[in-house]
Amino acid sequence: MITFTPPSASLLGDLQLRYRPQRQWGQGRGALLVLAHFLSGVGAGAWLAGSATGDFAAMVTGWSLVAVGGLAHLLFLGRWSRFWRMVARPQSSWISRGLLGMSLFLVTGAAYLALAMLGDASLSAAGPLWWLSVLGAAWVLLYKGFVWASSKGIPFWNTPLLPPLYIAYGVRGGLAVVLLVTLATVPASQLAAIETVKLWLGVSAALLVLIYLAVVRGTGLTAAESVHMLLSGSAAGVFYAGVVVLGLLVPLGVGIYALWALIGGPLVSVAAVASLLGDLALIYGVARAGLYRPLPF
Amino acid sequence: MRYGMVIDLKKCIGCYACAVACKAENATPPDVLWCRVIKQESGTYPLVRRISVPLQCMHCGKPACLPVCPTGATYKRADGIVDIDRDKCVGCRACMMACPYQARFFQEGNETYFPGGVTPYEARGYGRHQAGTVSKCNFCLPRLEQGLEPACVANCIARARIFGDLDDPQSEVSRTIRERGGGQLYAELGTDPSIYYLPA
Repeated sequence: MITFTPPSASLLGDLQLRYRPQRQWGQGRGALLVLAHFLSGVGAGAWLAGSATGDFAAMVTGWSLVAVGGLAHLLFLGRWSRFWRMVARPQSSWISRGLLGMSLFLVTGAAYLALAMLGDASLSAAGPLWWLSVLGAAWVLLYKGFVWASSKGIPFWNTPLLPPLYIAYGVRGGLAVVLLVTLATVPASQLAAIETVKLWLGVSAALLVLIYLAVVRGTGLTAAESVHMLLSGSAAGVFYAGVVVLGLLVPLGVGIYALWALIGGPLVSVAAVASLLGDLALIYGVARAGLYRPLPF
Repeated sequence: MRYGMVIDLKKCIGCYACAVACKAENATPPDVLWCRVIKQESGTYPLVRRISVPLQCMHCGKPACLPVCPTGATYKRADGIVDIDRDKCVGCRACMMACPYQARFFQEGNETYFPGGVTPYEARGYGRHQAGTVSKCNFCLPRLEQGLEPACVANCIARARIFGDLDDPQSEVSRTIRERGGGQLYAELGTDPSIYYLPA
């Protein structure tokens, strides 16, 4: 059924602007892409962290998050039923590469979890499956930043600094998931140790955000306008409330406190949830601040 | 053979005939603007200047949109035209983010211009478009196959557009670029656009 809809005022208005904001990745159905990248990044991080610590519950949670992230990816597409075509160009497209990596992770991860649940994790097949799933999870962490960074039309994203930033945030988010999942079973002393690791990751992430914004700001007028939009424009609320306060200050405060005192579950869960919300805010903020290169007249 | 175009900014009067001709020829739905004209003002009174700049897909020699397309829906023909296979496009919109010329548009749904449903004209033309996919100018391929010029060229009342083969040094388009010093938009990005602009 075709219905009447007037031409979108936002597109016609946007086309008049010197710096036209991109709205396809982040607004409307585009919010699903932000959610998908957040969930798959955090899920892959949780799988890696769970694998490193031998935490089965964290691995199950990580796999589930990546699966839901994959579903969100599909729902974002204009034509989701054709998603299988997206593996056609791995030689140049990071989306193709990402789908292959995510498929590898989901298949091998599911097989490994199934073996482990059946109590057969010691079988000879489990080792290779585990390694392949770890490889897939690392690939999922890696590719997302490159998808954004290969956008030549958006100078704010078109930088090699974005992939390391997204990797750092994915690992940090994964640790936050591990903390939340293991809260009930892990002793307070171990919680403090994980929280200390998270503190350093938080400091690293804060530094990376600062470096990213400082470097990108100097790359051109459009990127500088994006940084301005993030720091004092329409995306500033998301940046300060989400990325700075929830994503950095709250986890840093808890992490510093954990250096001197034993911290309890409620405080750790607050820090972990705040950290996750901060991760989501970062991806959304970066998407929101994306501006097209203006036409040079 | 490489199709290309020259747009003379000194001749362009900003009448939007090209944009309307494109709409009429290709029956593009609302919010899908394969060809558009932007107006640019500069200077301060009394020394002011206003130019009109027609914009569309640049059919780049090294298109930024092509490598990011995960399905191969975006492809480059032997004659230099960059086209989209609508049956392969999944609507991921990576090409829209990659294009430095803002030449690609995503068709969200099956919107129409007029209340009361689809007009007979729309019903005939909209079959060429698919909701949930990205589309852009293809230099009016069906017209080219009939030996006609793109609609924007044929309908330019100021004759500000010249279309032809960039690989042929004797073609009008090549000679004009050579003699009048046509320039490409964002040449420094290395995309090698097939549309050249003559200075206003």
